[in-house]
Amino acid sequence: MLRATGFFYRRRRAADLIAKTLGVVATAFGLFWLIWILVVTLNNGVHALSPAIFTQTTPPPGGQGGLANALYGSLMMSVLGVLIGAPLGIAAGTYLAEFAERHHAWRESVRFVNDILLSAPSIVLGLFVYTLAVRSVGHFSGWSGGIALGLIVLPVVVRTTDETLRLVPNVMREAALSLGIPRWKVTVQVLYRAAAPGILTGVLLGLARISGETAPLLFTSLNNQFWTTNLNAPTASVPVVVFQFAMSPYESWHALAWAGAFIVTVFVLLLSVATRAYLLRNRIDSAG
Amino acid sequence: MLPVDEAHIKARAAAETRQDAAFRWSLFAAAGVVLLILGAAAVSMFWGGRLAFATFGWRFIINDEWDAVGHQFGAFVPIYGTLVSSAIAMIIAIPVSFGIALFLTEIAPIWLRGPIGAAIELLAGIPSIIYGMWGLFSFVPFMAANILPWVNRNLGGVPWIGPLFRGPPLGIGMLTAGIVLGIMVIPFISAVMRDVFQTVPASLKESAYALGSTTWEVVWKVVLPYTRSAVVGGIFLGLGRALGETMAVTFVLGNAHQLSTSLLMPGNSIAATIANEFTEADSDIYLSSLIALGFLLFVVTFVVLAIARVMLYNLARREGR
Amino acid sequence: MDDTTRGSDLLEASRTKISVRNLDFYYRGYHALKNVNLDIPERTITSIIGPSGCGKSTLLRVFNRIYSAYPGLEATGEVLLDGENILDESFSLNRLRTRVGMVFQKGVPFPLSIYENIAYGLRHHFKLSRVQLDERIEHALHESALWNEVKDKLHTSALSLSGGQQQRLCIARAVALRPQVLLLDEPTSALDPIATGRIEQLLNELRDDYTIVIVTHNMQQAARISSYTAYMFLGEMIEFGATAELFTRPQRRQTEDYITGRFG
Repeated sequence: MLRATGFFYRRRRAADLIAKTLGVVATAFGLFWLIWILVVTLNNGVHALSPAIFTQTTPPPGGQGGLANALYGSLMMSVLGVLIGAPLGIAAGTYLAEFAERHHAWRESVRFVNDILLSAPSIVLGLFVYTLAVRSVGHFSGWSGGIALGLIVLPVVVRTTDETLRLVPNVMREAALSLGIPRWKVTVQVLYRAAAPGILTGVLLGLARISGETAPLLFTSLNNQFWTTNLNAPTASVPVVVFQFAMSPYESWHALAWAGAFIVTVFVLLLSVATRAYLLRNRIDSAG
Repeated sequence: MLPVDEAHIKARAAAETRQDAAFRWSLFAAAGVVLLILGAAAVSMFWGGRLAFATFGWRFIINDEWDAVGHQFGAFVPIYGTLVSSAIAMIIAIPVSFGIALFLTEIAPIWLRGPIGAAIELLAGIPSIIYGMWGLFSFVPFMAANILPWVNRNLGGVPWIGPLFRGPPLGIGMLTAGIVLGIMVIPFISAVMRDVFQTVPASLKESAYALGSTTWEVVWKVVLPYTRSAVVGGIFLGLGRALGETMAVTFVLGNAHQLSTSLLMPGNSIAATIANEFTEADSDIYLSSLIALGFLLFVVTFVVLAIARVMLYNLARREGR
Repeated sequence: MDDTTRGSDLLEASRTKISVRNLDFYYRGYHALKNVNLDIPERTITSIIGPSGCGKSTLLRVFNRIYSAYPGLEATGEVLLDGENILDESFSLNRLRTRVGMVFQKGVPFPLSIYENIAYGLRHHFKLSRVQLDERIEHALHESALWNEVKDKLHTSALSLSGGQQQRLCIARAVALRPQVLLLDEPTSALDPIATGRIEQLLNELRDDYTIVIVTHNMQQAARISSYTAYMFLGEMIEFGATAELFTRPQRRQTEDYITGRFG
């Protein structure tokens, strides 16, 4: 067998080697930033943690305190966001996957617009809710914050529901219909059950996404220094508090900002990992 | 054992038809809401910005003044900042994303692909405010102490592009913001590239290998041409995200309404301006100008994301998906 | 169109369950079934055979109008079930499907327990007490020869069963509603020979109570179990007759070509 030698062959091999090296370098580059960011966040965050974070409310400039009101506000508004975005999203996703067979143009338009909403800047959605819900009632509120978060959850759930339902084998649909079951029952009682893992994943992904969102809350729920359970008033949230405190000149506020950043990061990462693991174990529930 | 009761069935048939229709209609309405949201968002922001558009007209886009007291607002500085920081981000993100996609699809051993891929996706999951915090407290001091002085000394004197790199090593500024933005956007672009590279039919690649091609040649001459439009789509997707990013940029851009050639100087972006000044807007024209800025951002990202989507679907359609 | 007369002579003896009259079927403009005429006798097994793409599955799927779930599919003509035209708009789909049950090629159970898979349809159509429900499910499982294998694990997931067992579960699911007609679309093509044998034995036992129509690409299977066979080619009904006659002395040249393997 001839040994491959010669100028051109060596040059091709060199190019291949360079490309492979650069690929490794690029990946190392990406991982480097990930590790740096996580280490800094976890390190600074851990040092700023204390029980007071959960028991005390946000302090005035330069003072000591906690994040209790912000944590509560974030929890309330995230739940509200999911309650608004998930049912609407599941309904719209079901329509796209199951009931739009004859309306090709309409269906593809909705998918198109949904994909754009999915990647649209969240600050734009926040401004929209501002003009819609804040301007009209004259004040900032936790409700409008929840609506803004709901608008971010919605396209995520629409997409996941649409895609998951399309993966359910057609035979299952036909088998249920062949038993004389009406279309809506087939969808709700059989198809949703088969698609449940995927749909739930979509909802959890939406939740992970809104947990760290700041911009849309700036114009809707604003912020609140004090403890309140009234969603009709400006409501504190962890990301907004982090924003405000980090940009300030006060050390004690910086520490609290790190604590908040830490909590958000850990929550989002745990949720992402758990969602991944869950989905891996429970692929579409059908005969395999 | 009785078969199904005929009369019973006939009575239910009508009810079930009604139920099916009601179900279908409510789902249809939900789908309609999605369209409605986009339309309403566009309309409401245009409406909110109408005072600014009416007052300043087309000059709004090219005017670089930003005077809250004198009520003169122009979008040029934020627009410039948005475009430049996004451009820097793309210059960094595109080659790196390609390198990562290459690594994950062709170079890495199989057992390594899952974990590394998951790690890169973690980058996408980190909220942008965390990027902002890290950027402000860790990256900026690092840049100010180590990188920027070097840049200033060595690149500041280069003809033509020198002025871009000349300036005080403040740390915050266009270059830093562009880098942070680039890192943020890497996982999105590389995820699309990786997904798309994996759709290339194995037989296509195997034929090339069988002819003696190196891995690089297969990628450059077979995989990339095949996935070309989707790769561009992925890049546009990353660009769309970069343009609209708020928190990561707000922390490190400097929020200065000034125009400078140097990338080392602070600047402003549309999203950062809106985020920072919204609560301070004390006049109708001020508020309207901010909303008008939001409308401009909305239009630009809409176009970019629409292009991205079209290009991504070109590939999917070609495969019959 | 004389080719079906011989079959009809035999049918004098038994009643016709399904009568197909001048049926045309269009699949988004493509003319998939061309002027099909057929009389399916009751309480017996009729198989429909033919090469790929001949329209046998399409014809079967007209009998329970499952095609109506998809856009662009249209049937003209008449299909009479006990004298009533099921293609008529006013004939309710759900009513049709309680009289005509279907088993598919790939038996996909619902993501429920074995018990619930069968109970699902029963609960929707009947008001039954727990005891009655248990009885009917047990009966259905006996009818599909699955009872002994699952009686101790009725409430475990149906997905834990083997392929052959899942298919029998789908049959149990269909017969639990006591339809008059049972349609089977290549029910054993995804199964190994042993499971196939079980199912064929099962169908033999069911033939006295149900009108069974089975589509199969396996000629030997048709010869083994069916009393009547219909041969289709390119959307047309070529020949119909008693299985023994059709296989030993086919009337049409096309039938003979297919049976003797001159083409696939």
